[in-house]
Amino acid sequence: MGFFQKLFGQSSDDPQSSAKSAGPIQVFAPVAGQAVPISEVSDPTFGQEILGKGIAVKPTEGKVLSPCDGKVDMMFETGHAVSLVSDDGAEILIHVGLDTVELKGKHYTIHAHNGDKVKKGQLLIEFDFEAIAAEGYDVITPVVICNSDDYSSIQSHVGKDVVPGDLVLELEK
Amino acid sequence: MKSFTHVIQDPMGLHARPAGMLAKAAMAYPCQITITAPSGAADAKRLMSIMRLAAKAGMEITVTCEGDREEEAASGMETFLKENL
Repeated sequence: MGFFQKLFGQSSDDPQSSAKSAGPIQVFAPVAGQAVPISEVSDPTFGQEILGKGIAVKPTEGKVLSPCDGKVDMMFETGHAVSLVSDDGAEILIHVGLDTVELKGKHYTIHAHNGDKVKKGQLLIEFDFEAIAAEGYDVITPVVICNSDDYSSIQSHVGKDVVPGDLVLELEK
Repeated sequence: MKSFTHVIQDPMGLHARPAGMLAKAAMAYPCQITITAPSGAADAKRLMSIMRLAAKAGMEITVTCEGDREEEAASGMETFLKENL
């Protein structure tokens, strides 16, 4: 009995074997606002896709929600950025505003921690986007697929207003 | 195998943007490049892996290059770190 429990326990924990059925991996908007091509981000590290392909959102609400079911990989203690690994293996970085590491956590409240299992739509970070903008920072929020090279195609759905949970990226192996 | 150490100078530490630039610099070389910090070890070609180190200003990291063109990679990475981090 123990042997089988162990056997099945292991196989269901294996992310490869529990991968969802075929079809693109879906990544949903983590924040409400206007979804735009990542090339519109003035910081070339994002705009020129040095960190990976993705989209950006110009926020109209100060909440970052999980864009997928997955695990928090790295919550920056400043709350200005968070990376997650989705249950289907996508590595996602959400960077709230540009150069906002300099705020050292001011105007950001963290609601999840490294290693936390999260569900799509779960609150990760709250931020005061008006206060951040008032300090002279661009609050545009890039959503980047860090392991872009693992996918043959990455389709973005931008040029529209989004609410958290709207489909913004589709990744094909 | 070729390795060197570097102390992070950027007051903000190894945050997202420099981590991305570092991964891009590392990808120019065919050998395996590993960064070791007090918080653990990271594959220098994977942005997520580097960010997980949460390396702060003043922290010493060790960069190890192993394989094809390791000498060239070590000197290239050392130059990159001195100029950017």
